[in-house]
Amino acid sequence: MRPAIDLRSFLDTRGAAILLTLSVLIIAGFAALGGLIQPAVMPEGTSDVEFTFIVLALPLSLIIPVITVMMVAGEWSDKSIQNTLLQRPGRLAVLTSKVLAAAVVFLALMALSIGLAAAATWVGGDLLGDGAVFSSIEGVLTTQLAIMVATLLFSMAMAILLQSTVIGLVTAIGVPFIISTAGALAMVFGSEVISDLIRAVDLQTAAALLGGGEATAFELLPLLLLVIVPTAFGIRRWNRREVG
Amino acid sequence: MSITTPSSGSSGPTLEVRGVTKRYGERAAVDDLSFVCRPGSVTGFLGPNGAGKSTTLRILTGLAQADAGEALVGGEQFRRLSHPARTIGVMLDARALHGGRTGLETLRLTARTVGMPASRADEVLAQVGLQDAGGKRVGGYSYGMRQRLGIGVALIGDPAVLVLDEPANGLDPEGIRWMRRLLRSFADAGGTVLLSSHQLREVEATVDRLVVISQGRLVREGTLEELTTTSGAGTRVTALDPAALLKALDRHGIAYEQRLGADLEVSLAPEDMGRLALREQLVLTSLGATSGGGLEDLFFALTGGTEQPVGAETANAAAEPAEDAAPSENGASSEPAPAPLR
Repeated sequence: MRPAIDLRSFLDTRGAAILLTLSVLIIAGFAALGGLIQPAVMPEGTSDVEFTFIVLALPLSLIIPVITVMMVAGEWSDKSIQNTLLQRPGRLAVLTSKVLAAAVVFLALMALSIGLAAAATWVGGDLLGDGAVFSSIEGVLTTQLAIMVATLLFSMAMAILLQSTVIGLVTAIGVPFIISTAGALAMVFGSEVISDLIRAVDLQTAAALLGGGEATAFELLPLLLLVIVPTAFGIRRWNRREVG
Repeated sequence: MSITTPSSGSSGPTLEVRGVTKRYGERAAVDDLSFVCRPGSVTGFLGPNGAGKSTTLRILTGLAQADAGEALVGGEQFRRLSHPARTIGVMLDARALHGGRTGLETLRLTARTVGMPASRADEVLAQVGLQDAGGKRVGGYSYGMRQRLGIGVALIGDPAVLVLDEPANGLDPEGIRWMRRLLRSFADAGGTVLLSSHQLREVEATVDRLVVISQGRLVREGTLEELTTTSGAGTRVTALDPAALLKALDRHGIAYEQRLGADLEVSLAPEDMGRLALREQLVLTSLGATSGGGLEDLFFALTGGTEQPVGAETANAAAEPAEDAAPSENGASSEPAPAPLR
């Protein structure tokens, strides 16, 4: 396993440089939006760090899949996996290495996002408003972070399974959107059976409940169906797929 | 431009393909194929589109798995080599290089991956003649420049074996000459070279040995000299009475072909043709050995005679093989493969 090589091979491409620069700018922009505008719209005139992070979660739910899928599956799409496997024939080691590299980038993005959310909340609350609320930081580090981890895990699973940047991205971004929309519709129509079916594949909600310590065994089902099973099939495919 | 030589200085590992079979559904892309590439020689790997060359090279380099048989590099399977890129340098598809990196970054990353010092990247960049384009992104390279960079990637680990698929594609005459010298010096220094190509004249000028396959099966293997002199060698003969000559040949069941005018090309050695003329009381007006038909004639004779455009294999290989499905090689000649001859 050589995650440092995979990290570098991702970072030294022009596409990655543009993507990461845009990502940082968008994260900073949304952090500012969430932290600075809150005092103006909240009745108490305060700025809450968890709310700031929830605003930040909007771009992160796109940025995390894009970066993860590109890092894990990108070489299959641009065919450079051929050279990688000629230099490092251990396919499982290459996969593990790419997953670790993607996890490192995710952790860096999370650290940056939480830091920017806290800074924007402080500026918005203490300097511009009537106070900053940091007591909710636990919610950021549990519920919100769990949702982000779920996004990462699902994106990785789709990248490993599909081994294609385009299909991986469409799936990693589209499926959670479809599930959350379907969940909202099921609630409106009040069908318990459909709600349970959707709950079985609603990874985001399951992650929020797991992070908040309110999960039951049922919340492990989305993890099994959307992460563990696709990853297992993907690993098998990764090991067998011909390169040419 | 400097020329590389294998680091070992002595003989490099042998490449062995032993009874390799690869099927895609009902079709055998490679069918019980066996051959050996020995150190100190450049082996040309020839065959028409769909013959199974690319599949064989992918199996040899661990990018595909054989259904039967094995392909070995120095007695080991590629995937089990402890330092694959330091043992065998491979260039299968120059388009597989990432377009978003510069040439120098590509080589530096490769050097780091295979455990070579960063300075090796600059050395190889100069070696492949891209020192002036090292800062340019690979996406902006011409196909010939990509080929050079691909060869550079293959060379960076200072390997003792080179496996190159269509390396001359896109190279200018100077580049082809450079590549020829590179491969020659590499083999002369004890390296093992396996070179797949469609450019028959280029192969003729570069290789020592030939492995010719058709429809996944070996049809001929040997030195270039052996194969080209045994193919189509005969005698060109003219007689004062051409009709009598034809009758005599027919009577003795000797194959011939009519050439320009009254010239005949017969499948006999000149001395045997002379003896026949003496016995049949024929006056010959000319008699001489014809040279072998050359690699091109041999290639078409062995592979079914369907002329394929140069570069078609490359275009064919561009198609991404689906998992567990037939790869891109599917344009095989409709002629049955000749029986293997050694």
